[in-house]
Amino acid sequence: VKNPQPTCACRWFAATAVLARWCLGGVFIYMGLVKALDPVGFLKLVRQYDLVATPILLNSIAAALPWFEVFCGLLLVAGVAVRGSALMLLGMLLPFTVVVFQRALAVAGAQAIPFCAVRFDCGCGNGEVLICYKLLENFALMVLSAWLAAGFGRQLSLRYQLLHPKRAETGPLAPQAPLERKSR
Amino acid sequence: VKQLFWEAVLVAGVGAALAFAANAISPRGLRLARDYFPAPPSRTNSPSVNSNLVTGSLGATNTQSALVKLTSRIRERGLEPIDINRARQLFNDPGYAQQLILFVDARDDDHYRQGHIPNAYQLDHYRPERHLSEILPACLVAQQIVVYCNGGDCEDSEFAALFLRDSASVPKEKLLVYVGGFTEWATNGLPVEIGERGSGQAPQNPR
Repeated sequence: VKNPQPTCACRWFAATAVLARWCLGGVFIYMGLVKALDPVGFLKLVRQYDLVATPILLNSIAAALPWFEVFCGLLLVAGVAVRGSALMLLGMLLPFTVVVFQRALAVAGAQAIPFCAVRFDCGCGNGEVLICYKLLENFALMVLSAWLAAGFGRQLSLRYQLLHPKRAETGPLAPQAPLERKSR
Repeated sequence: VKQLFWEAVLVAGVGAALAFAANAISPRGLRLARDYFPAPPSRTNSPSVNSNLVTGSLGATNTQSALVKLTSRIRERGLEPIDINRARQLFNDPGYAQQLILFVDARDDDHYRQGHIPNAYQLDHYRPERHLSEILPACLVAQQIVVYCNGGDCEDSEFAALFLRDSASVPKEKLLVYVGGFTEWATNGLPVEIGERGSGQAPQNPR
C-alpha cells in the first residue's frame, strides 16, 4: 500500500520528535549565545579544567565553541543537516559530561562533601548549578541528540539531509507521518 | 552511516569556520595567539573557596586557610600581597591625592561602573589596549600601585599586575595586590564610587 494513513500515535510521535529538535536547537542557541557574549568569562571557566597546555588551543576552544553551538542549534531549529548536527552535538556532549563529572568528583573529594552537593559554574552556559542536575540535563540532551541522529524529527525541515537529499526521501528513514499540509 | 559521518564532518568544518569568523568580527572576540593567563591555573580555584571567601560563609578557620593560600600564591607569582588595613592606609595617604599612590581596578566594565574604589584606574587586562594610554603615564609617576579585583579567588588583579610588570615595564617593587579586593572593601563600608573614574558619585544603597 502506498502512502498509508498515519495513525494518531504515529503523528504524536513525529510531532514530539520535531518539538525535541526545536527544543534541543533552542537550548544550544541560548547556551552558546550566553557564552559567546562573555567570551572572557567562558575562557576563565575552560581554563579551570586544565585540558590544554597552550594558550592558542585554550583561546580557540573558548572563542569557537560557543559560536559552534549556536550554529548547530540554528541548523536543528531550521532542520538543515539534522542528523549530522545531532551527531556533532552528541560528540560534544559526551566529553563535556565526562570532564564535568571528573571535576565534580575532584571537588567532592577535596571538600569532603557528597557528590550531589557539589555546585559550581561548569561553563555550560547556565551559571552555577548543582552538578547532579547538570549531569541529568546533559544526559537528557544526549538522549535527544541520539534520537535525532537516529533519523527522527524529520518533519518541517528545510533540508533534512545535506548530502543526497533525494535519496533520503525514498530511503528506509523516509517520513512516515508528515506534519506538512499536502498541497498536491 | 557513511553519509551521516560525512554530513557531521561537513557540519563540523563549516561550523568551525563560521565560529572563528564570528569570533574575529565580534567586538568581544578573543585574540587567539595571546596568552591571557601569564601563570598556571591556581590549585586553590575550588568553587567553594571562590564564592565563600567573598561572602564570608566559610568558617573562620577555613577562611583563614584560604587567605593564607591566596597570599602564598601571590608571592609565588613574584607579587606583594596586602590586606585591607594596608590598602586603607594607602587610600588615606596624602600621596593618593597627588597620584603618588594609584589604585588599579582589574575588573571588567560592568563591575567597574557598578562600583570601584574612588579614583581607581581601570585595567581590564583582557582588553588592555583600551586603558593603557591613560594608565601608563600614571604608573610611571606613581610610587606604589595597588591592584585589586573582586577578591577571594579572583586572579585578575594578579594578571593585571603581571601585565604591568612584564609588558608595561612597571618595576615590581611598585606593585601591590590587594587580596581582599573590592568585595571586602565595600562590605567594610569603605568609600565607593560608581560610574566613571572621578565621578564622585556614591552608590544609592551603599552596602
